[in-house]
Amino acid sequence: MTDTGRLAGLVQAAQRGDGLALAEVLDVLTLAVGRWCGPIALQDADDAAQEAMIAILRGLRGLRDPAALFGWARAVAVREAVRVARRTEREQPAELTSLPAPGDPMLAADIQDVLSRLTPEHRAVLMLRDLEGLDERTAAALLRVPAGTVKSRLARARASFRKEWQA
Amino acid sequence: MTWPVADLDAIRRLRALAAAVPGAIVAETVIDAPFDQVWAVAADLEDELPAYLPDVRSFTITSRDGERLEARARGYAGLRARFDVVLRPGWCVMRSRFLLGGMAAFPDGDQTRFAFLGGTHLPAQRATAPALALAGRWAGPKVITRFVDRVHQRGAG
Repeated sequence: MTDTGRLAGLVQAAQRGDGLALAEVLDVLTLAVGRWCGPIALQDADDAAQEAMIAILRGLRGLRDPAALFGWARAVAVREAVRVARRTEREQPAELTSLPAPGDPMLAADIQDVLSRLTPEHRAVLMLRDLEGLDERTAAALLRVPAGTVKSRLARARASFRKEWQA
Repeated sequence: MTWPVADLDAIRRLRALAAAVPGAIVAETVIDAPFDQVWAVAADLEDELPAYLPDVRSFTITSRDGERLEARARGYAGLRARFDVVLRPGWCVMRSRFLLGGMAAFPDGDQTRFAFLGGTHLPAQRATAPALALAGRWAGPKVITRFVDRVHQRGAG
């Protein structure tokens, strides 16, 4: 059986209430959930990952196409991470227009510092685009925000990141 | 330069699993013993599980393939069940026809964070009261106390 076929069988068993299969689905998704939630929820990332995994496992019965597990789980996790980040964010994030300009010594700061200057929704779009490879329209739709707004607000942030990564 | 990554440790994963299983309970504690000492008890299902689970008289491993085990449990109250088990350091999930059991642990300095899960993996409407009660006992305070006692006894021995 292919990996895809095995995964689909696992999801279907979990949907039927098989606890061991549910635990295996959890195993399969653990690293990805950590990767999706980290850049969005930052200091609350571990809590967000737990909340995201709960939402995924509880919502699994509603997944119609088991082969779509990762895409569906990513959407659930990203929304949960944004929700947790917004709930616990203690400081109002700065507008993107106040991001340091290219060449600014602040850009030498680590990625966590730069991410903390964005709203959770913008961090989510940035992660979906630059880490997961989604196009802007898909990322915006997943987050239920207008694609045009996303594009203009994130262009500068992406340029800053790219400069850092290539340094 | 790397993106920040969330850490979904074993106990957070066990909590997530419990949240999706009807009637499942997670009991957590911090054990004043190193991880290896704690997990030596947790992983020794045949010898140790009957010592801390009041409903289990014997737990016999019938096959082993890597981290996947099959086992046969016998209890004092007529319980006979075949279990499928996934066992690896810091993580154990056991499934019979009605029950779901689990253990998770990770080191925290010189101590160990540890959790039990007890639940039934039947759909909520089919989960009987006795099954839910048994699942609750699996993660009850008495089991935690007995388990911690076994860790310290084994450490002293």
